[in-house]
Amino acid sequence: MTEVLGYAFMQRALLAGAVIGAVCAIIGVYVVLKGLSFIGAGIAHASFGGVALGFLLGLNPLLTAIGFCLATAWGIGLVARKSQVKEDTAVGIFFASTMALGILFIGLMQGYNVDLFGYLFGSILAVGEQDVWITLGLGAAVLVVVGLFFKELLFVTFDPEMAEVTGVPAGRVYFLLISLVALTVVLSIKVVGIVLVSALIVTPAAAAYQLTEDFRRMMALAVVIGVSSTVGGLLLSYPLNTASGATIVLLATLVFFMAALASPRRWRRPAAHHPVEQP
Amino acid sequence: MANTTSPIIRLTHVDVIFQDVLVLEDVSLNVAPGDFLAIIGPNGAGKTTLLRVILGLVRPASGAVRLFGKAPWELNGERRRVGYVPQVLSVDLNFPVRAEEVVLMGRYGRVGLFRRPSSDDRAAARRAMERVGIADLADRPLARLSGGQRQRAFLARALANDPDLLLLDEPTTGVDVAATESLYELLRRLHEEGITILVVSHDVGVVASYVDGVVCVNRRLVAHGRPEEVLGSEAMTQMYGCEAMFFHHGRVPHIVVEKEP
Repeated sequence: MTEVLGYAFMQRALLAGAVIGAVCAIIGVYVVLKGLSFIGAGIAHASFGGVALGFLLGLNPLLTAIGFCLATAWGIGLVARKSQVKEDTAVGIFFASTMALGILFIGLMQGYNVDLFGYLFGSILAVGEQDVWITLGLGAAVLVVVGLFFKELLFVTFDPEMAEVTGVPAGRVYFLLISLVALTVVLSIKVVGIVLVSALIVTPAAAAYQLTEDFRRMMALAVVIGVSSTVGGLLLSYPLNTASGATIVLLATLVFFMAALASPRRWRRPAAHHPVEQP
Repeated sequence: MANTTSPIIRLTHVDVIFQDVLVLEDVSLNVAPGDFLAIIGPNGAGKTTLLRVILGLVRPASGAVRLFGKAPWELNGERRRVGYVPQVLSVDLNFPVRAEEVVLMGRYGRVGLFRRPSSDDRAAARRAMERVGIADLADRPLARLSGGQRQRAFLARALANDPDLLLLDEPTTGVDVAATESLYELLRRLHEEGITILVVSHDVGVVASYVDGVVCVNRRLVAHGRPEEVLGSEAMTQMYGCEAMFFHHGRVPHIVVEKEP
């Protein structure tokens, strides 16, 4: 198994994979705690339209996907906040229409010979040098922004109304958060694939949530689980000859179920020192 | 109220409309510095909306709102003079956060962007926790606090900016009887320390023995006066319908409202 580490494509995939695992896990903590899983899935599917547009225009599909995903995220946010449409309805509409656009774009291409399968389900072989740089650049940008707005993101995730009342611009922080989700999706799709990227955002954070009641510790645990899943999944996918995204996500899911079984939250509920007072 | 100083809160002929439904109609209310008022009324009467109007989270369709003499959405530094304790069910009570962090959040707006809370901010959070008697629970995760402790944590968050005005929305939801009494005792002490308090409550009987004024809201402002005047008045009957029953116990009348089947 060690000889695969000698291949340049594997080194690129592992480097990108570790960054993806960490960034997805950190953004995933906000997504899980704020209940944005469906928005994450919607934005991920929107990236299909962006990728197809890139192929059509002959540009790097990741670059066109950035614009496409950001536009979709803001579209969902605007429709959900400013109109009478519920958030999940807004996601449902954007989800389907952006995929439909992608299918149209592909239809417009004369005789396509494009590795769409790789984009949909992830492929380590497809991670080129430019893709690694895009992943590293976007990953660094997302982490810097999370660091700069750490307390605002925490407050708005926990209690947006109180944040607003005490002078934290909750609306703008919400848009910042869904923009970060969009960028995280884009930087992940080469390795994990469009279909599975939302799982990689949600699952490590959900597993970490089972194991701790401290916010920073949850984030640290999510990163450990996320990075282990991507690196472990990539290393396994090569000898097993399986799709990298699927292997990564199934590994993370396995960790989630183990965490759920071991969860102190699960065993604590009926404890005598914790009177049940909620209706 | 008899107070002649300029009111902290002044609502004049406020109408609030949500999706074509009139939630509040022609509500006028003055709250003077030093008042301790309970807002009562049936479910869906617009009590929470009234607080949200005062906070500037909801804008009235017509009428005027003044908080410290300004429109609530135009407040800057004065915003910190208001402490708010929202309904407990508005947040995820299993959120992985410790009591101290919850209280410290009250200071985040003042800390400002790109900065971390200073030792002053931490000291203020610590003082607020001492004020409500939960300093020993600083490291306790939110999910491991009892109902009463949790409400004290949210109250401490509201106190972290040393506010002059406290707005509380159903602070005793999910809190047992003993803890409810001690929470109101705590509010009475804060009131004696000079804080103006407005509390939305359904514990009509309990709250009446602590506050010095009761405001009945049922879309319109039905009554506003001293507890013993308002409770047991025609307004109450009007508000709760003919199923309401009064009986006297202690200083003030209690009200029992039979739930519809």
